Amino acid sequence: MGHFILFYRLLIRPLFKEPVRAFLTVLSVALGVAVVLAIDLAGTAATGSFRSSMDTLAGDHDLEIVATGGVPEAVVGSVVSLPYAIHASPRIEDFAVLPEKKQTLPLIGLDLVAEASSYANRLQGAPPAGSENYLEHLGKSSIWIGESTGYKPGDRLELLINDHSKKYIVRGIYPDAHGNEGAIVMDIAEAQEALTRYGRVDRILLKVLPSSTLEEWQQRLRSALPLGVDVRPQGAGTNENRRMLASFRWNLRLLSYISLIVGAFLIYNTISVSVVRRRPEIGIVRALGASRKSVLAAFVGEAATFGFAGALIAVPLGRLMATGAVKLMGATVDALYVSSRPGVIELSVSSVLLAFAVGIGVAVVSAYSPAREASLVSPVEAMARGRREFDVRVQKRRDLMLAVALGTAAAASSRAPALGGKPVFGYLAVILLIAASALAMPAFVALVTSCASKLLGSLLGVEALLASRSLDASLRRTSVLVGALSTAIAMMTSVGIMVGSFRQTVTLWMNDELPADLYLRPAGSRSADRHPTISLELADKIAGLPGVAWVDRVRVYEISYGGMPATLASVDLKVMRPYKQSDLLSGRPIEQVLANLRDSNSVIVSEPFAYKHNVKIGNSVLLLLGEKQGSFRIVDVYYDYSSERGNILMDRNTLLQYLPDPAPSNIAVYVAADAQLETVRAEIGQATAGYRVLMTSNRDLRKEAIKVFDRTFAITYALEAVAVLVAVMGVVGALLALVIDRRREFSVLRFLGAAKGQVRKLILVEAGLLGILANCAGVALGLAMSLVLIFVINKQSFGWTIRFHWPVAILLGAISLVYVATVGAGIYPANVAVGLNPLEVVHEE
Amino acid sequence: MLSSVARLLIALLFLQPLAAQYRAALPGYRYVFPRDHFSHPEFQTEWWYYTGNLKATDGHRFGFELTFFRHGVARDVPKNAAKSSAWDVHDVYFAHLALSDLDSGKFYPTARTNRTGPGIAGISESSGRIWNGNWQIKWKNNDQELQAIAEQFQLYFLMRSEKEPIIHGENGVSQKADAPGRASHYISLTRLTTTGSIELFGQKRAVSGLAWMDHEFFTNQLGAEQTGWDWLSLQLENKTELMLFRIRRKNGSIDRFSAGTFVDPQGKPTHLKATQFTLEPLGETWKSKATNAVYPIRWKIAIPGLGIELEAKTLLASQELTSNTRFVPNYWEGAILLTGKERSHSLHGAGYLEMTGYDRPDGALAISRHYLNSGTEGVSERQVTPGIASR
Amino acid sequence: MAILSLQNVSKDYLTDGQCVRALREVTLEVSCGDFLALVGRSGCGKSTLLNLAGAMDFPTSGEVLVNGVATSSLNDAGLTRLRREKVGFIFQSFQLLHTLTVCENVELPWLLAGKPAGRAAARDRLAWVELEELEDRYPHQLSGGQMQRVAIARALIHAPSILLADEPTGNLDTETGNNILLLLQRVTREHNTATILATHSLEAAALATGVVRMRDGKIEEIVR
Repeated sequence: MGHFILFYRLLIRPLFKEPVRAFLTVLSVALGVAVVLAIDLAGTAATGSFRSSMDTLAGDHDLEIVATGGVPEAVVGSVVSLPYAIHASPRIEDFAVLPEKKQTLPLIGLDLVAEASSYANRLQGAPPAGSENYLEHLGKSSIWIGESTGYKPGDRLELLINDHSKKYIVRGIYPDAHGNEGAIVMDIAEAQEALTRYGRVDRILLKVLPSSTLEEWQQRLRSALPLGVDVRPQGAGTNENRRMLASFRWNLRLLSYISLIVGAFLIYNTISVSVVRRRPEIGIVRALGASRKSVLAAFVGEAATFGFAGALIAVPLGRLMATGAVKLMGATVDALYVSSRPGVIELSVSSVLLAFAVGIGVAVVSAYSPAREASLVSPVEAMARGRREFDVRVQKRRDLMLAVALGTAAAASSRAPALGGKPVFGYLAVILLIAASALAMPAFVALVTSCASKLLGSLLGVEALLASRSLDASLRRTSVLVGALSTAIAMMTSVGIMVGSFRQTVTLWMNDELPADLYLRPAGSRSADRHPTISLELADKIAGLPGVAWVDRVRVYEISYGGMPATLASVDLKVMRPYKQSDLLSGRPIEQVLANLRDSNSVIVSEPFAYKHNVKIGNSVLLLLGEKQGSFRIVDVYYDYSSERGNILMDRNTLLQYLPDPAPSNIAVYVAADAQLETVRAEIGQATAGYRVLMTSNRDLRKEAIKVFDRTFAITYALEAVAVLVAVMGVVGALLALVIDRRREFSVLRFLGAAKGQVRKLILVEAGLLGILANCAGVALGLAMSLVLIFVINKQSFGWTIRFHWPVAILLGAISLVYVATVGAGIYPANVAVGLNPLEVVHEE
Repeated sequence: MLSSVARLLIALLFLQPLAAQYRAALPGYRYVFPRDHFSHPEFQTEWWYYTGNLKATDGHRFGFELTFFRHGVARDVPKNAAKSSAWDVHDVYFAHLALSDLDSGKFYPTARTNRTGPGIAGISESSGRIWNGNWQIKWKNNDQELQAIAEQFQLYFLMRSEKEPIIHGENGVSQKADAPGRASHYISLTRLTTTGSIELFGQKRAVSGLAWMDHEFFTNQLGAEQTGWDWLSLQLENKTELMLFRIRRKNGSIDRFSAGTFVDPQGKPTHLKATQFTLEPLGETWKSKATNAVYPIRWKIAIPGLGIELEAKTLLASQELTSNTRFVPNYWEGAILLTGKERSHSLHGAGYLEMTGYDRPDGALAISRHYLNSGTEGVSERQVTPGIASR
Repeated sequence: MAILSLQNVSKDYLTDGQCVRALREVTLEVSCGDFLALVGRSGCGKSTLLNLAGAMDFPTSGEVLVNGVATSSLNDAGLTRLRREKVGFIFQSFQLLHTLTVCENVELPWLLAGKPAGRAAARDRLAWVELEELEDRYPHQLSGGQMQRVAIARALIHAPSILLADEPTGNLDTETGNNILLLLQRVTREHNTATILATHSLEAAALATGVVRMRDGKIEEIVR
């Protein structure tokens, strides 16, 4: 108790004397922790608790029967006839758009005759208009819909399905609260008609008796199924998706820790200042009998208090930020991976504990070194005179040597391969780089300030001289501050360079990859795993139009490969596409590769696919297609940036042998050389009247793609912004500390004839100097980090080859903005300095 | 049993644009076997009904019931459909399966509903199958294999008919009400020697005994005043069988279309008119906790012309099948034991008893009103006769 | 004519919400060449008087005239300008900036006044206090006496008319303190400054051309 009182009096109470600074420190920790928490929560909501939209109304089934392109429906008959007490629920699963609400909902076809009793409670219509009896509504354009959509039984609505729309009548609504997304339910016959997908169902969900294990059931059932049809635990697709998303989530989480590292610098700084200021007090309590340990504990405790208070704010703040993050992450997941519906953000006990552990942990770790220094203060120092600042000597040379060593280690680490599919060593390299830069900072600051003070003095006057001298003099404090700010800037720069490079790469790639003039796809929402189809008749009709040179009918399927979702696409090799060889990893002439592809059982795979599944040219992939199984030779690998899922591409004729549904997912139209694009466009527009398809010109498609791209990376920008904000807040806090510590100096200056404005200028120049130092160091560090991000972390996580590119304009803009913010951060401390009464300050002596 | 299905069927009538497209059961139908053991899609409703009393080698007694229903809802494929889906609903198949563990006093009722779908349910003469999922009858020459899988039990029986099929009623029709066509074609196999196994909670027993098959098809046989009924199938030790049903009317009287059939040891049927037998409850009742229905579970049977006097009782009072959805009603269907005499000889036997309409004292099968008045899209309002389907 | 004149000057301070009268109707005339010792107990108003005299603060009532200009007629910028031109301060704890060299410290007020490089002037003042060979040293490399001499050199950089020293020997041993007092006396004489010295030291009083004795914010006695 006694210790606690002392701790309170000597360490906590003084914090209240500088509430703004204490608050800023707490807030910087809070922001850092909040970002980590927000990304954690949002990650869990957007991907971790990821449930495929299609699992709505799936109930508690045990197994599911699936096949690429759908399960032949005869399987349903044979499964229900098996002599096992199995409950089987065949489902048609797709999406439909409510055009009037611009909302895409899962469309689920259920066997409402068989399920009448099991779904009775869930799909109840509201009496008296509805009826619990589905049977009477069968075959009459009937749908049941989640009540969250706001529709009532009896409502008529139009649904956009694939390339056409149709009117339906709401026969009943069902509660779609927990686990049941607002979906559109119809009878399976109605769904087959709506999607013109006869002969197959998408999944058969199974409930089995627990008398045998799921593996035994799987084995038993597999022997009764055709070759290409698989049985797996229900939700395996969800798990596959989750696995696919793991890497994305992992990387995002690590990015979120950058703000925390910035926060750690600031805690370190705050505690260092606290120690330096209290040296006499430490001496006194040591002289009065405090042990080294209790001094150490006291300062670690002070840091822990900051961490605790920060976490306290971070929990609600993080929860709030998570709401925004979920949206951003959801957009990314949809665009790059799989249609998802973010789960509820749940602030679990474990995430709150995480916040506190991270907050207090970071605070304690970053405070340990200054706290230890405090414990080394000898009791004699209490008796030492006066208020002279004890700026601990910085061992510039030793630190610089260490920095070089760490930098070398970083370089070595960046060469190491991924560990368990995760770029662990890549991130280690980033951390080593940050550490190296932090250690090199004193030497850098000393060099720059000593070189610059003369120059600045003559350029900006005596205030600049004083400012640079002061930064140099309090070298450690300055180094830490520059370290924090430069880390934030480095993160911004590196991510900026990576995203900019990626964007440029994608833009260039699209020039090659999108050679057609017009693209058609079914209207309605897009997602990486949704592939609605266009009627074949329409494709043929368009092919016959004058002015149309070729039409490529692209068909895309969702498949599962190696325990991960992937995309299988077929293209018309008859179409002469002006491919460029730069699209291929091998660099071979495209004609040669296409010729190879023409013989059946050859495919080319995308770079992420090759990376993810560790396959090379010449390897084979084994695919389950329809009822069949096929082995396909990889004849080449192509660059692809359209999705992270991994693509397999084969000839249309090859795929049709396995999956005979000829309807294309989208159509690429090549306009004849002698035809006018606009004329052809108008003709196609007429031909597609009555179909719900979207026609996009090449240019618009690219624009759209870039828009999607930018939306995808919005969250990384948000993370950077927070890191920079934390750093700028750190600058405010640190300058404030500086003002308090140097108030005597400012007062003397006033006695010596300095005007108030000169004092203000002095502090702003210091802030500006800090900004310049941090920007220089940050851009240098950021460049190094960006190389690791692009060539190590990105490559190991996603398998993309990105060409390095300087996004000069964006970087300059961002850096200028940070610079202005840093100088702006000096305004409040400068006002505090100007507001000091020199008489009182000097009189304190 | 039948009334429960009737209610379901009433609901289904609305699925069907024109009942007129189905054929009515009229006198003079020419029966041909094995064809008439299978489907008659030109009639709207059809069922196959297997019940039996079996004894395990260890003496444990069981009763079972397995019924297959087919109800036509749309005979024709819509003309405007470009393609037809295997899932289009032309017939709906209901099935009920119940096991009565008579010596343990346990009753295990189950039910399912399906459409034809891609081989989910149906009747196929060519493959000799009548099935609904993994509940199925498979004809092999003159024998039938029965397989029925439920969560708690599984039945595997081989059934061999001792007698030729019985055609009930007169002139090929079993009249149920006072109008042409208000009747069914009604076939029974009254003595099926049954061997096989019953597996209950993993315990498998070899069983043997007698089963009974009813097969009935018709289009519209319901009468407006008919509110419930009691039906019995009796298999007697003297190699004779009896089928009796009694239709109760709203006013409490017994309908004059109540009837029965006596089958002599050689398999020769004798039609029994309502006036030729009596079927009366003896006062002992069982009240269902689930439905509050009060079922008479002891009956007196008298056929003066044949000198038969019997008393029917059950080893298991709780053989009620309840439904969790409103459109499948509740009924009692269970194994019974018979004691009595034929003239001076004592006579024993076993059989099945079905009682319907006891859970609604007013007897009104009012569910139809609801559908009539719901004014649902596309449903033409037309007169539907509430009532009970009969065999 | 008096370079510095205090007429009925009173000064109130707000300390912890209470009004404390630090000076009560003080009247004092100081001319160039005066070397006044301001004596009295701690808290008697010596520092307040020096601050008002040095144009660091405004009086609550009465007038402070520096070189004939009433400080109350000036704004903060005006005060600063007045200070730059006319006043030099010397502190008990020297108040040198540790980040600057000796020479830079001396040059500092010159630069703060916005004048171009004052290195020559600074060297000149350092020569004056006999420290020209230490100009590139940093304050922490100096002894206390040397530091105070640097501070005196710094105070003289503008050639001020008024030199205000608040306990300049308080942190020094007696001999060093005496040397500083002698230096100040020499400054007063050779630069013809009006020097006011707040002090407890008897030696100082002995060297002074006049002694102003203060008590409870009032001038009790002026002995010239």
